[in-house]
Amino acid sequence: MTVPRLLDIYAIMDRVEHAGSDGVALCAVAAEFMALDGAAIALISNDEDLMSLCTSNHSASALMDLEIALGEGPAVDASRGDVIEDTDLLAASDATWSTYRPEAVALGARAVFGYPVRLGAIRFGALSLFRNRPGPLDAGQASDAYLMASVISRAILAEQAGGSPGGLVGELNGASMLDFRVHQAAGMLAIQGSMSVKDALVLLRAHAFGIGSQLSDLAERVVTGTTRLAPDSREWIDDVAGGRDE
Amino acid sequence: MNRESLLIATLVELADNLVDDYDIIDVLSVLTQRCVEAVDVDAAGVMLASPMGELQFVASSSESMTVLELFQIQTNEGPCVDCYRDGLAITNHELREADGRWPLFTPRALALGFRAVHSLPMRLRGRTIGALNLFRTHQGSLTDDDVIVAQGLADVATIAILQHRSTIDSDALNIQLSNALNSRIIIEQAKGMISELANCNMDEAFNRLRSHARNHNEGLTALATRVVNKALNSNDLDEWVAPQRT
Repeated sequence: MTVPRLLDIYAIMDRVEHAGSDGVALCAVAAEFMALDGAAIALISNDEDLMSLCTSNHSASALMDLEIALGEGPAVDASRGDVIEDTDLLAASDATWSTYRPEAVALGARAVFGYPVRLGAIRFGALSLFRNRPGPLDAGQASDAYLMASVISRAILAEQAGGSPGGLVGELNGASMLDFRVHQAAGMLAIQGSMSVKDALVLLRAHAFGIGSQLSDLAERVVTGTTRLAPDSREWIDDVAGGRDE
Repeated sequence: MNRESLLIATLVELADNLVDDYDIIDVLSVLTQRCVEAVDVDAAGVMLASPMGELQFVASSSESMTVLELFQIQTNEGPCVDCYRDGLAITNHELREADGRWPLFTPRALALGFRAVHSLPMRLRGRTIGALNLFRTHQGSLTDDDVIVAQGLADVATIAILQHRSTIDSDALNIQLSNALNSRIIIEQAKGMISELANCNMDEAFNRLRSHARNHNEGLTALATRVVNKALNSNDLDEWVAPQRT
């Protein structure tokens, strides 16, 4: 059962993709879908640094640069796993983001919001949103933000795994990210290949693309032990004799 | 213990557990186990709606792969999907080979020995957030009293998901739902790692995770997060390889 708002995202995504833009597409989709003044997506590098993946416009871009330079702000906090809402940057609240606040206001933001982009313990980064007037998101916008963050986590995984032959919407429509075997398989591969669970999940996705297999089917083979990674070369070994009793 | 005593004991146990920072997966697992005992069913589980509108498995009385598979199928179809979509309870649905209602779900449930299925909505302030699923291996109906008890436990599960929020606004509910869904993914990632390290099946991996959490008075999700984040430092994970001490 697909929620109607997801179809709205697909429609915007389809139009933006046909307009020919590439990396910036996700942020443009997010800003339009959320009906806010700007959106940016920040990614966490393997060294825990924050990098800008895309921004929807010049102000969003300047705000993200500011946050990365200062190391404080909604995306920095949201990337650690919390939902962040600062409904008025000019309101004297607590001591958080003391440098960020006035400079963000100077760049045109009054309210900022941050949503974690994650899959289990894997932290991809954060979706950062702003508006040029104060006030909270309404109930519809708030649940839209969770939906958008879910879509972004799946899209980033597909992108890092080298793109989906069926296009992004086809990728997002598959429910395989809810398949517990996919996450179990990522955990197993992390140990087999001595890598992070995030890298293991990207590798699993990429291999499924590469051999034209459903992600769930490949995950099933990893969980049952018929497919595994060679410990040193990290090459895939299929049809492992015996397998596992699962 | 008769049912009344069991229910009172369950409520006392939950009241004791529902303190600050309790682990939602642990509490729901206990609740589904008590449900099996109180309502005379053979398996019980909780599925919650993701922001994208799909149902995701969150907790069950059994962590065996076969039972988990029955929840996995219900990402697409099954009693929980219908119950969630309509917000109405499904009780005493007898599973039959010729049943065309759930063509994927019914044959698998029958193959696993289940004969009847029930699904009760988890509702809060007019919004259905998921469903409690009950499976029975023997013939015979749940009585009206059974259904009242089961719906009561589904309501308690709903309250547990809200955690210790004083105000139940829609954003608080979104945050808690999103965290509960993400907790289950973290646990699956950790199960995969432990199962690979200890060469055990996923059921055993979950048991090891849970006994370690209980023995060290740590939340299941917090522990699973630590396991996943230590992927690159296998020395820290050595303790999982050793046979479990009791």
